[in-house]
Amino acid sequence: MSIRKLLCSVALSGVMATGALAEGHGWSLAKAAEPYAGTTVDVVFLLRPGYEAIEAMLPAFEEETGIKVNVIKHPYENALGEQVRDFVAGGDLDVVLIDLVWIGNFAENDWALPLADVQAKFPDIVDPDLDIDDFFPLVLNAFGSWNGTTYGLPVDNYSGLMFYNRCMLEEAGFDGPPETWTELKDEYGPALTKDGKYAFALQSKRNETQSADSFARMIWPFGGSFLDADFKSNLNSPESQAGLQFRQDLMQYMPDGIVAYDHAEVVNGFAQGDIAMITEWSAFYSSVVSPETSKVADCVEIAPEPKGPAGRKPALGGFSMAVASQADEAEQAAAYLFIQWATSKANAVEYVERGGVSARQSAYEDPALAETFKYIPALVESWQDGVPEFRPRFAEWPEITEIVQEWGTKMMLGEVTTEEGAQEIGTRMEAVLDDAGYYSGDKPLAQ
Amino acid sequence: MNTTRSLASQILLLFVIIAVCVFPFYWMVTTSLKTQIVALEAPPVWIFEPTLNNYREALFEDGVLRTLINSLIIAISTTVLAIVLGVPAAFALARFEFRGKKDLWFWFITNRMVSPIVLALPFFLIARNLGMLDKHITLILIYLTFNLPIVIWIVTDQFRGIPYDLDEAARLEGASQFTIMRKICLPLAMPGVAVSAIFSFIFSWNELMFGLILTRSEAKTAPAMAVSFMEGYNLPYGKIMATSTLIVIPVLIFALLASKQLVRGLTMGAVK
Amino acid sequence: MRGQVSRRTVIGFIAPAVFGLAIVGIAPLLYAAWTSLHFFNLIKLKQVKFIGLENYWTVLTDEVFWQAMGRTFFLLCTALPLQLALGLGIALVLHKPGLTILKTLARLSLVLPMATTYAVVGLLGQVMFNQKFGVINQMLGGANINWIGDPTNAFAMIIFWDVWQWTPFVALVLLAGLTMVPGEVEEAARLETKSWWTVLRYVQLPFLLPGLVAVLILRTADTLKLFDMVFTLTRGGPGAATEFISLMIQRVGFRGFDQGLASAQAIILLIITIILAQIYIRVFYKEV
Repeated sequence: MSIRKLLCSVALSGVMATGALAEGHGWSLAKAAEPYAGTTVDVVFLLRPGYEAIEAMLPAFEEETGIKVNVIKHPYENALGEQVRDFVAGGDLDVVLIDLVWIGNFAENDWALPLADVQAKFPDIVDPDLDIDDFFPLVLNAFGSWNGTTYGLPVDNYSGLMFYNRCMLEEAGFDGPPETWTELKDEYGPALTKDGKYAFALQSKRNETQSADSFARMIWPFGGSFLDADFKSNLNSPESQAGLQFRQDLMQYMPDGIVAYDHAEVVNGFAQGDIAMITEWSAFYSSVVSPETSKVADCVEIAPEPKGPAGRKPALGGFSMAVASQADEAEQAAAYLFIQWATSKANAVEYVERGGVSARQSAYEDPALAETFKYIPALVESWQDGVPEFRPRFAEWPEITEIVQEWGTKMMLGEVTTEEGAQEIGTRMEAVLDDAGYYSGDKPLAQ
Repeated sequence: MNTTRSLASQILLLFVIIAVCVFPFYWMVTTSLKTQIVALEAPPVWIFEPTLNNYREALFEDGVLRTLINSLIIAISTTVLAIVLGVPAAFALARFEFRGKKDLWFWFITNRMVSPIVLALPFFLIARNLGMLDKHITLILIYLTFNLPIVIWIVTDQFRGIPYDLDEAARLEGASQFTIMRKICLPLAMPGVAVSAIFSFIFSWNELMFGLILTRSEAKTAPAMAVSFMEGYNLPYGKIMATSTLIVIPVLIFALLASKQLVRGLTMGAVK
Repeated sequence: MRGQVSRRTVIGFIAPAVFGLAIVGIAPLLYAAWTSLHFFNLIKLKQVKFIGLENYWTVLTDEVFWQAMGRTFFLLCTALPLQLALGLGIALVLHKPGLTILKTLARLSLVLPMATTYAVVGLLGQVMFNQKFGVINQMLGGANINWIGDPTNAFAMIIFWDVWQWTPFVALVLLAGLTMVPGEVEEAARLETKSWWTVLRYVQLPFLLPGLVAVLILRTADTLKLFDMVFTLTRGGPGAATEFISLMIQRVGFRGFDQGLASAQAIILLIITIILAQIYIRVFYKEV
């Protein structure tokens, strides 16, 4: 069944439902969930604000549906391994939590079910008001879809943003954030790096952080990319090299040992007032503006990421949730209901207010919300147009990211030059892609 | 004059030894009583208003209590199992003559040296095929790979120290070897058995890698839990230290109570 | 004759242990051997295929693997001498007569580091060695040393914790050796010479040797196994500065998901371990 057809029917039933609801006997969550009351849904959550927001809202869902949601919390860096091990073992997880770079992997292994299949299997549980077009198309496509098929609905959604400390910038005589990366390095860098304070910090730990937040963030704005059109390494191109070299040069304005900084350290440093600017995921907003965890809550301002010679290419990342194929019938239905509820239009504003970042366009229509949550304008702007393959999303990414992490950190430490490091990554990355069958034509060049 | 000076330096040295050994625990406990803001003060503060919040959160909200219980169940079970399986083997190694004895002993002991990562990968795959992931029994069994060698190493030594004359009479009366072991030798070897049990328990309690790879929620052990607090977006140092304290304090108290046996055990395997 | 018993009796006694260890020790190894001969990637289980010795060839020619191996032995060669020197020093201090209460206290505190969960040592390390709010820099007079983010310092920090945790073990083992020296022999020797070194070298050392051998064996094995503390402290970073062999295999197998390659690495590590254990035990441990 094609998605389009399904969407039409969904939309149509939506129209009919609106009228019916008024009389009180249309689709309702409680009614749809009736056959699945008592089912337990196992789901992996991350230790991040968006998941805390859902957890806080969960009791309402559980009460209304009788479905129990069993949350298993993991730090991001363990979440892929935990899920892969669970799926390989035919474990208990009923919901697949998909980072943008895991989608190819989960889809090709058939661990996640296509959304349309679930909806066709359980037509009665599909919310007529699902309105899938309300999701930012880029986000739905990047986080939840693979090869034209939608698997997951976007739940915890990120765009790279620049967080800056207005007070520190003003003190140094700047009335706004830098427009370009070069400006950041040449003007803001020297002016703000002094007395144990630093102008900037780029989380670069040898984790996904290194490849996503550090490496990729620097190659794209300078016109570089991981792969060229033939899926060969593009890391030794002048553009990619310019980006990587820029990263080396920028390090003088970052704290020492930046290669040991993960999100937590960077966000902490910013929240303690030691770092003037960071480029971080929108998801960390609630943590830097909360007086409980931040000393600089009143000074926090948000801007889009700076531009490079190739334009503004903010980092893109985020998660969707899909139904796991290993779940049994009742669990699949219950899992779908949970996902649908957590990402619904109706709950989007509450989700945002509790610290989550919704992918619903409708959620951001209220201008009052944008006043409280200063990241909204920059976020909405960045989602109009972005690079879904900011990091390639194919099934080989887990292997490739390990290679990038290893040599990317070695580059930053000066153990290899950017050319040598790029060469190493290129050779090893191409070996992985060759094994996977991209060069022999066995596999389409999709990322 | 000279002796006073040497005495003074000796006292000083002893204090340094004690301080270096104990200070990290002091720091762990005090950090666990700090709020996040206080824990991130730079330079660190030594005097502050303590809070038990981290413990409350860790134990009751994040489920550390359950992982502690899991660790306890697993450590005790595997210790008992290692003793039951290991003692007879140790007796045979100490008292019987048979071909391949040396190689057998060597094989047992080598297991103690194998890096757990060598076994973790295949054990994970096997457990997956048998549907044994995230079960207590899986960890209980795999911990035998290091507990059994310890038991056999120490208890073999202990049995070897028991003179044959003691059970000569029993043997002449026709008692079986098993009876001899149980009735005559085992009571005498009890100190060694106790020592090996203490070691098995401590090693099992402290184990991380298998716990990390082979469990998920049901059988999750306390060290695996402590690690999972790392790398959130906001490292909760106080809570991490509270969890650490909860893991470490029981085993430290246990080790202190059993310190005589522990030291004996170290030296039994090592000094002969 | 003593010790001569029927075959059945021997089997009855050793079978449970052999069987138990075979299940958990040998079966996984056979499985690992099988896996190591295949392209076996957890996220590509549809493509499992026999590839002969290719994984082994990859490992043997991979400089990253040998660098991790070299790093592991470098750690052993730096930490072990420190542990031996400090351990011997502590043992000698504790062996002197007098100050009984203080010495008992010291002996008790020596037990603590050894019993500490290794993973917790790493977590503690993160807190104490933090550049900014860490107590170590504070005690160094407000130094601004970047411990975790600098390759050399991170390695030094790992050495520190390894020494902290295992010096007590060395000290207690050597102390036990010292107490085996017959009192009158030692006293006679002390009347002969004032040099503690002479006493140590000619009177005490023979009694310390078995303990030293055991320390050597166990520390070598434990360094090859070292995982927990480093995993929680540096995760092998920064870069690969503290990526020891067990961490590396864990990364390949459970983060890169290439179980075939990781199995080959694990089996090569196992072979190295067995060779070392053979050498140690056959050379130094002649009994049994």
